[in-house]
Amino acid sequence: MTPSDQRLHPLSILFDLGAQAKAFLVPALFVFFGAGSAGIGWEALGALMLIPYAGFVIARYFTFTYRYEAGELVIRSGLLVRNERHIPLARIQNIDAVQNVLHRLLGVVEVRLQTGGGSEPEATLRVLPLAALEDMRRQVFGQRVPAAAGAEGVEGADAPAQVAASVPHALLALPFREIVIYGLVHNRGALVIAAVLGVVWETGLFEGAAERVLGPARPGRAVLREMAATVFGGAGPVASRVVLGLLAFVALLVVIRLLSIAWAFVRLYGFRLSRVGEDLRTEYGLLTRVVATIPLRRIQTVTVRDGPLHRLFGRVSVRVTTAGGAEGTDGGVQREWLAPILPADRVPELLREVLPEVDLAGVAWQRVHPRAFGRELRVSLVVVALICAPVVAAAGWWALAVFAALAAWAALSAHRLVTRLAWATTDAVVCLRSGAWLRYVSFARFAKIQVVALHESPFDRRSGMARVRVDTAGAGDAYRVDIPYLALDTARTVHRELARQAATTAFKW
Amino acid sequence: MIPFSRTVGWITTAVIATGLFIGLVIFRLSSDLPGWVTALATVGVVLVVGALAWSAQFWPAIEYRHASYRVDGDGLEIHRGVIWRVVLNVPRSRVQHTDVSQGPLERSYGLGTLIVYTAGTDHAQVMLRGLDRADALAIRDHLLPREADDAV
Repeated sequence: MTPSDQRLHPLSILFDLGAQAKAFLVPALFVFFGAGSAGIGWEALGALMLIPYAGFVIARYFTFTYRYEAGELVIRSGLLVRNERHIPLARIQNIDAVQNVLHRLLGVVEVRLQTGGGSEPEATLRVLPLAALEDMRRQVFGQRVPAAAGAEGVEGADAPAQVAASVPHALLALPFREIVIYGLVHNRGALVIAAVLGVVWETGLFEGAAERVLGPARPGRAVLREMAATVFGGAGPVASRVVLGLLAFVALLVVIRLLSIAWAFVRLYGFRLSRVGEDLRTEYGLLTRVVATIPLRRIQTVTVRDGPLHRLFGRVSVRVTTAGGAEGTDGGVQREWLAPILPADRVPELLREVLPEVDLAGVAWQRVHPRAFGRELRVSLVVVALICAPVVAAAGWWALAVFAALAAWAALSAHRLVTRLAWATTDAVVCLRSGAWLRYVSFARFAKIQVVALHESPFDRRSGMARVRVDTAGAGDAYRVDIPYLALDTARTVHRELARQAATTAFKW
Repeated sequence: MIPFSRTVGWITTAVIATGLFIGLVIFRLSSDLPGWVTALATVGVVLVVGALAWSAQFWPAIEYRHASYRVDGDGLEIHRGVIWRVVLNVPRSRVQHTDVSQGPLERSYGLGTLIVYTAGTDHAQVMLRGLDRADALAIRDHLLPREADDAV
């Protein structure tokens, strides 16, 4: 090991073990709560399995080293099969730092490096001391800050100059009220919790655990079941049953929203978006603190999204996609959040920071083919008819009223969609405005366009339209620029133009 | 390209037809459903195999009529698709790397497939099948970066 080789923090042994123990946690819970009287055999066996693994983890700690050499990060690892990985510093897109409560208590951080392709982090360093993280940030991103001092590579003398050039410039901070609004508008946390509860209930784990903890057959536990029985099957006047049912439903909604707010609070506590030199930095999290870095020039697309609830509060949500790391499901590093919730009138100011080459007010939006409404309506009506047909067959002719209502809804949605659908090209980006109820505005930089595709379905051909799809790196499903219902000539022109723009702009990761 | 596709088509048809036929025989021998169900199943199998055979023989020519590509200084443009048509345009500066691959059957026909890798998500790999191997290699050489500091 050469003098410049560095090891991970010694506590990484603990955290590595912890990470593996998590995999054993769920089966262990099943065993503990489900079997009941299986005795101590299983638990002891599980514990025994961890011991040789601990030896393995310790050995791994001693064989994992990294160093900086000639513009590269060199990571050496492996017990029997020695692996040496060279990552050019210029290729590293993001350095994400994750700290949960234990990390923060011990002053360490888990670092994940992302380079261009693939959804897996290129290197996960679990765990590093905080000073090493700062050093890494300086190595990777510091080279690109215009070196005012001129001298390169000498950290001691340059550090003050570089730090001065990259003072964080706060763009957005979410106070408690915004987080509450976010919780009210988004519903994700509640669904997860409901799903977990459902699984637990189904498999009877809850019964086993509750009996152990609370003792057998407590009356309070059957409240929900008795309520459900009363509402759906019991005696008593219909009116009171309906009222009870409605109350229960409202109570459920309130509980879900409260859970959602709580989840949002844990997830987004202290959300701060700031600009540090040429990068954006997002920090958030109550228990697990995440600091994610998004270099500005690696942003592929920017999408401004709002749903009906957003609009109720006058807010929007802004996301970006970067190359590498599609959905960030691993450990919950959501690199794509630029602004989870933002007042709608602050969007131009944020976009000026992120896409300085776009003048939002000056974008010349163009509408799609005039007959798009007819096509959209036809598709919706067919779908509605397909859904209603079995209902009509089963329940009789009054279900036609349902069909009429749904058809009216479909017509309204189609009209909203087509009125809103518009696209534009400026000299640096291509933009798309879409969505009927859940609305999007997406921007894709020319310099980030990969492949441009022109699609003609048989229905398109019949009405003389086509669809242009722009492929970028790391694009998620809803956030790509996908322009439907263009007149064929327009589509061909746009396709050619985008291809030409992509060909003449250099693509830098 | 057309004879190659036909061969592939016929092989596929033969395999599926054999499978279906064996399934049908087993079905006839083992179940005691009324005769008309078996007759219906037989007719179904015959129709499916017939459709596969027709597509194996005639579809390649139809597909070939609608497939084309163009390589120029800006990049590679591919037209394909009969019912659902696509025009894919890959700019030269977006080509990450390329492969020319040959399956065993392609080798015996002297054909190759050019696979162009980009940094996109939908079109991370763009495939151009049924090229003459020499053509595929020529296109690949053309798409490689010309200058050392080309856009990367």
